[in-house]
Amino acid sequence: MHTHIITGKDIVKVYGEHQEKRNVLDGVSVKIAQGEFVSVMGPSGSGKSTLMYALSAMDRIDSGTIHFDGRDVSNLSENEFAHMSRNEMGFVFQQPTLLKNLNILDNIILPSLRDNRKQLPKITSQARELMKKLGIADLERRNITQVSGGQLQRAGICRALMCSPKIIFGDEPTGALNSRTAQEIMDIFTAIHAEGTTIMLVTHDAKVAAQSERVLFLCDGKIVSEISFPRENGMNLEQRMQLVSRRMQEIEI
Amino acid sequence: MYARIIYNDIARNTVVTTITMLFIAAAALLVALAAVLIINLSGAMETLMREAQTPHFMQMHAGPIDPAGIDSFAQQQPDVLEYQILEFLNIESAQIVIGSNSLASNVQDNGFSVQSEHFDYLLDLDNQIITVSDGQVYVPLCYLKDQTAAIGDELVVKGMSFTVAGFLRDSQMNSNLSSSKRFLISANDYEKLQEFGEIEYLIEFRLHDLSRLSAFESAYIEAGLEANGPTITYPLFKMINALSDGFMIAVILLVSLLIVAIAFMCIRFTLLAKIEDDYREIGIMKAIGLQLNDIKKIYLMSYALIAVTGSLLGLALSYVFKGLLLENIRLFMGESDNTALAPLLSLLGVLLIGAAVMIYVYRILHRFRSISAVEAIRYGGSQKRPHLHSRLSLNQNNLVPVNVFLGIKDVLSRKSLYATMLAVLIIAACIIIFPQNLYNTISSKDFISYMGVGSYDLRFDIQQTDSIPEKASLIAQALSADPEVTASAVYTTKVYTLITDEGSREQITVELGDHSVFPISYAQGSGVSSEDEIALSSINARELGTQVGDTLTLLLNGSPRVLTVSGIYSDITNGGKTAKASFSDPSARTMWAVISAALDDPSLAEEKTRGYAELFGYAKVSGVDAYIDQTFGSTIESVRKAAGAAAAVALAVSVLVTLLFMKMLIARDRYPIAVMKALGFTSADIRVQYISRSVFVLLIGVVLGTVAANTLGEVLAGKVIAAFGAASFSFTIDPFTAYLISPLMMAAAVLAATGIGVSRAGHITMIDHIKE
Ligand SMILES: Nc1ncnc2c1ncn2[C@@H]1O[C@H](COP(=O)(O)OP(=O)(O)OP(=O)(O)O)[C@@H](O)[C@H]1O
Ligand SMILES: [Mg+2]
Repeated sequence: MHTHIITGKDIVKVYGEHQEKRNVLDGVSVKIAQGEFVSVMGPSGSGKSTLMYALSAMDRIDSGTIHFDGRDVSNLSENEFAHMSRNEMGFVFQQPTLLKNLNILDNIILPSLRDNRKQLPKITSQARELMKKLGIADLERRNITQVSGGQLQRAGICRALMCSPKIIFGDEPTGALNSRTAQEIMDIFTAIHAEGTTIMLVTHDAKVAAQSERVLFLCDGKIVSEISFPRENGMNLEQRMQLVSRRMQEIEI
Repeated sequence: MYARIIYNDIARNTVVTTITMLFIAAAALLVALAAVLIINLSGAMETLMREAQTPHFMQMHAGPIDPAGIDSFAQQQPDVLEYQILEFLNIESAQIVIGSNSLASNVQDNGFSVQSEHFDYLLDLDNQIITVSDGQVYVPLCYLKDQTAAIGDELVVKGMSFTVAGFLRDSQMNSNLSSSKRFLISANDYEKLQEFGEIEYLIEFRLHDLSRLSAFESAYIEAGLEANGPTITYPLFKMINALSDGFMIAVILLVSLLIVAIAFMCIRFTLLAKIEDDYREIGIMKAIGLQLNDIKKIYLMSYALIAVTGSLLGLALSYVFKGLLLENIRLFMGESDNTALAPLLSLLGVLLIGAAVMIYVYRILHRFRSISAVEAIRYGGSQKRPHLHSRLSLNQNNLVPVNVFLGIKDVLSRKSLYATMLAVLIIAACIIIFPQNLYNTISSKDFISYMGVGSYDLRFDIQQTDSIPEKASLIAQALSADPEVTASAVYTTKVYTLITDEGSREQITVELGDHSVFPISYAQGSGVSSEDEIALSSINARELGTQVGDTLTLLLNGSPRVLTVSGIYSDITNGGKTAKASFSDPSARTMWAVISAALDDPSLAEEKTRGYAELFGYAKVSGVDAYIDQTFGSTIESVRKAAGAAAAVALAVSVLVTLLFMKMLIARDRYPIAVMKALGFTSADIRVQYISRSVFVLLIGVVLGTVAANTLGEVLAGKVIAAFGAASFSFTIDPFTAYLISPLMMAAAVLAATGIGVSRAGHITMIDHIKE
């Protein structure tokens, strides 16, 4: 039986003031199991990103509760979040959020170094190992403007993996890439997942969603549908994609 | 059509825009004030000297006089418009008591006069010629300024009592730099008072044509007329009148220059930051072939708006403040009559500032040309910018905490950005330390050696009396018998005829004595070391066209004597025309003598002064401190005030600029800050990073600034002092304030400002900047 790494209950997130006020998340409840690979789909503006940042405790919510690894993390203080994010979570964004004045290697080791400066050699060798695994081993001295988008995204993933996170959150990590590169990144995510890391991805791409274990469909701040692809389910990638696309079309009507 | 864009632009950056505007306003204000001061100073001076009819040539003379000789000389000289011989009744200062204040400790030569008949009038505060009744006295303005006297006070001199009826402007003796002060009384009272003082004559001429002055000067000397005392000419009166306010104008102009520089730095920073922000848009516009000039126009117009508003604000403020600064000029010289020019010149100065700002903006905008469309679109920024220092790699650093490392790294990889702040801090450090050094220097006892005065503790002046040499040697004997006097020397001043290369004759006053006892500083060469040498004041050297090593021929007792010029020194005493030699010549008449003495314990100076003054009634005894205080006192005081004000301004500017800089940095770095927060960096981490940047820049700035102020500043000050004719120059640095207190003050101010500036870094939310 699964233990849940994230349990969100009746999450409400309000944006806007006065008449403009709107529940962007309107009572969403989600459970993500330890080691699960979940993707979130939905029309633009449906609240996918908002949900992801709420579940990761980076954003505040207006009501409801969120538990991460057994702890209540609804409305953490900034410092509590920082500590948790540094040690237990990994984030991958659509735009490679690397810092301009550090080279690739420095960008990757930066968060880990904050607390463990004395373990620099260990951290560096760990980063090099990850970079090798993700195919960017020879880019470590490059400036971030000197590598391609796909390479940057890999560097971003390396950075997210440095703390051996319990969960990786990805907000459209393949959104800015071409389909070939996107698939390479998805292969990386699949491999990470295979090693036991929980993954939650927000995506517009049915092919990306089809490679996860469970797809949540969000519309107007509510989870309106859900598809599971259990391991024993014999569908191939093509069939899964068709299923996801069809469900999306139904929602968007 | 641009109005909207400009409005948005300004509305988005209110703080930065406001501060830039304020700096422009401040610069405009100062320039406008300087303009007003210049016009008023020159105007008021002209008015005063016109109303008072200041003499063009004046010979002071003590001793017997032959009015008939002067009269026949004046009749024969076609240049002379009119002449007069005024009497100045020199009264020992200790004998003058105003209200409860005695002038005993005053080093001025105080004396009484009656109103002149033809010119050189003593004027009241409305520039009207004063008519004084019996029993009344009009007192020189400087005693109103230092609050020695007030209208209605009783002035007692040698048992005679007068009522202070008002104050007088004296177009030739107003300034503290001129050593005599005239009190005005009625002719009847003057007659009664006459027996208590020594009469000194002021032989005054006005010429038809001022440009004939030097010819007339020579003619007067050639004629061998009375000349036992200094000669002062119209240009020198003018200079003395202008000096102290001129100094203030120079300081104001200097400060405004600095503020303009700071305004430029703010503009540079904002513009560079903006160009970087808009890099993508600019690149895209370029890529799709839009006219760059249009974008430039938008930038230019926003700055034109800022510059115009700032300038107008400065101009308006100058009207508020000018009264304050004009106070002194108004008091001493009265109203000026060509004030209409003042607003015009102010406007011109302000326009100049505005134009400078626009030109500067225009030049920065040239960078648009170098924006690469490809880089802009592909990377959203210039690729050149973040050039990495491979040695400064996180993966090679385990000495410095990560946040500190990131701060320093950022400074090093965006040098041109931080150069702005660095420059401001360097300038600020200079502004704090430089005037302080200047103050320490000119208030130190050694400083007067640059001004032609040796470094002694006591000074005896014997003038306007007979048998000066005997009296001088009496004093010298007393001094050498005094165990507390460590050194003393007698200097007698005599007049000699000098034969120039062309064969014409000039008079030159030479101070004879052992000049090695109380050496002064020489601009060139050195002091006299043998009887065949002479040292000249810089004015004399300039007028005679002589240099070190040249020879001069003097007539000693009728026979020519060739002397080699050993050195040139600056001098502000006796009208600046002096010479020093060490030959002995008992034959020539002594005009005056000065006996200088050094004390074992200089703190005894005051006590000794009193003791010797009682002993030798015929000599004016003064401590050198009192001497400095009363001649340079007001200058030293204004430098002290200026130093204080400059330090306050510099601190305020560093605080403001740091605050501004940090705010701008954080506004620009919202995205990386959000990213770091998402990665698990806390607000405190971010603050440490920014404080590290600031501290790093601060350290460099303070060190460079301190070094610059103490070295380059010395050179600069030396140049300024040299303009006054002074010799080679070195700072007297108080290490405690210059190397410890001032840098610490700056560091504290900048750190506090950084703290406040970065406090908002914590408020940047991750979500708003990274959510897709
Ligand atoms: N800071 C904010 N203030 C007000 N409204 C917001 C804010 N952030 C998001 N919204 C609104 O909340 C809704 C959900 O936003 P969210 O970014 O979660 O959508 P999304 O599903 O991720 O869309 P997309 O697929 O385009 O990224 C949108 O309608 C958006 O306009
Ligand atoms: Mg989104």
